[in-house]
Amino acid sequence: MNQDIQIPALARVEGEGALTVRLKDGVVNEIILNIYEPPRFFEGFLHGRYFQDVPDITARICGICPVAYQMSSVQALEAALQVTITPEVRQLRQLLYCAEYIESHALHIYLLQAPDLVGYESAISLAADAPDLVKKALRLKKIGNDLLKSIGGRSVHPVNTCVGGFYRWPSVDAIHTLVPELEWAKQVSIDTARWAATLSYPDFEQDYEFVALNRIDEYAIYDGYIASSTGKRVDPVDFEKNFLETHVEHSNALHSHTAENHTYFVGPLARFNLNYKKLRPIARDTAKEIGLKPTVRNPYKGLLARAIELVHATDLAIELANDYHPQGPSNKEIKVRPGEGWGVSEAPRGLLYHRYVVDEQGLVRFARITPPTAQNFAQMEADLWALAPSVVKLPQEEASLSFEHLLRSYDPCISCATHFLKLKIERE
Amino acid sequence: MTNPNDDARATNPGIITIIGIGQSLRGDDAAGLESVRLWQETYQSKHSSSTVKVELAELPGISLLNLLEGSQAAILVDAVHSSARPGTIHILAENQLEAFTQGSGSAHGWGVAETLSLGRQLKPSAMPDQLVLIGIEAGQLQLGNDLSPEVRAALPEAAKLVELYVLGEKLPG
Repeated sequence: MNQDIQIPALARVEGEGALTVRLKDGVVNEIILNIYEPPRFFEGFLHGRYFQDVPDITARICGICPVAYQMSSVQALEAALQVTITPEVRQLRQLLYCAEYIESHALHIYLLQAPDLVGYESAISLAADAPDLVKKALRLKKIGNDLLKSIGGRSVHPVNTCVGGFYRWPSVDAIHTLVPELEWAKQVSIDTARWAATLSYPDFEQDYEFVALNRIDEYAIYDGYIASSTGKRVDPVDFEKNFLETHVEHSNALHSHTAENHTYFVGPLARFNLNYKKLRPIARDTAKEIGLKPTVRNPYKGLLARAIELVHATDLAIELANDYHPQGPSNKEIKVRPGEGWGVSEAPRGLLYHRYVVDEQGLVRFARITPPTAQNFAQMEADLWALAPSVVKLPQEEASLSFEHLLRSYDPCISCATHFLKLKIERE
Repeated sequence: MTNPNDDARATNPGIITIIGIGQSLRGDDAAGLESVRLWQETYQSKHSSSTVKVELAELPGISLLNLLEGSQAAILVDAVHSSARPGTIHILAENQLEAFTQGSGSAHGWGVAETLSLGRQLKPSAMPDQLVLIGIEAGQLQLGNDLSPEVRAALPEAAKLVELYVLGEKLPG
């Protein structure tokens, strides 16, 4: 490779991003990951909105992980308004989160990252040669979406979640009838992990600081303390003191660093490494079977961590669905008062932080949203620098693909907020 | 316009699915959703919900395939981006959507064109026999903005095209 690399639009990532790698005398001189990221705009957009509108608005930030945006926002607003949810609401929210993990991980494993590992340009070309694999992925994803719909009312942007609980309990039948499909999904998830373990991953390991939520009693997804692989534990209230964001000229997104000025890594690999012991036994057994154990330092192997989390999420979903027998009101009455609250949860792509200030009328006066991909940007750039010396020796096209593959392994969710169709109009 | 009886759908009626697609909070990106809502207000009461299904899908991604499953015909309404004047309505057959799956050309994980193409390849029997897309040319995409006046002005025409399609009429263009 003897010229600069320009990837004007990254393929197979959720959203829009561009990458430029500039060479000088055959050596990498500049790497610019340019990101168009919408959550920042949403922060301004939420200003002046009634608190109860927030979950439905933030759910629209992303078509793949709307639940995460709802879960972090309702928890932050419940803290601000001093509302305590019932254990039943918490369980249903966990089940809703399982649904999102199933649909999001199935999409990323099979349709976004796997084509790189098995040498296909896209899932469409993969589907031509391995239709059963892709059909299985789509059925898995559909099960996640069906579960999402049964709880959230819609399969794409769920609308049932509210501050204080749910607007109404989903019907018991609707949830219970999904159990056989979830059983199928669990078996397929185990097969997925076995299959994923047979793929070959680029040899690339870095010394990362992993950051993920942590709980004593469960594999933290819905809530928890913030834990780092350095041993640090941070209360969500202190997130902004410990994880700082700085503006970078070439990107719409802010770049995150720890207070010690280190890049850090959030997402499935961080969760797996920090919370391995809290995985459901069947997920841990599957990890053992495929020889995956902490600490995994190869970002491409995030796919394996996702596969293990699929086993975990389907197994947990079956238990929660079977136990679902709601009683009493589905939400708490809320007394509007001024306050400030913090909420963190583990989106499929990593830690998602929200903070809101609400006034005496219940209107949002301040909103802060720190999405997982924004936290990973600085780490992604650092990885690109680490990868570059070996990659620039490759032919141009291969080098581009290598950089893209690395970025895709992070499953970046850069923006789902526009979806334009490009048109090719043939007129005679 | 052709006689509805000439249309295969009129003699063999199946489920028709109308799908509005778009980001409801970003200006003209909501044009598809708004067109379908206008169709619902103006025309839906004339049709049976067992034969005409309506989905306001926002950003369905690959889940679009689930929404289409079991339909005999489908009409998608979406904001589009070409070089035309905002508010221009495009009537497009499936093969006119550029499947932007080549190399790095795609800005998005799963576009409508790419998703349809995957569906046709994997499970053609589950895909509608007929599919048309009404594209409304967008102008601005500012978060929190309303539709542009010229895009709003195009909604009645888009809703009418949806109705013609539901009635089995041939669409112009």
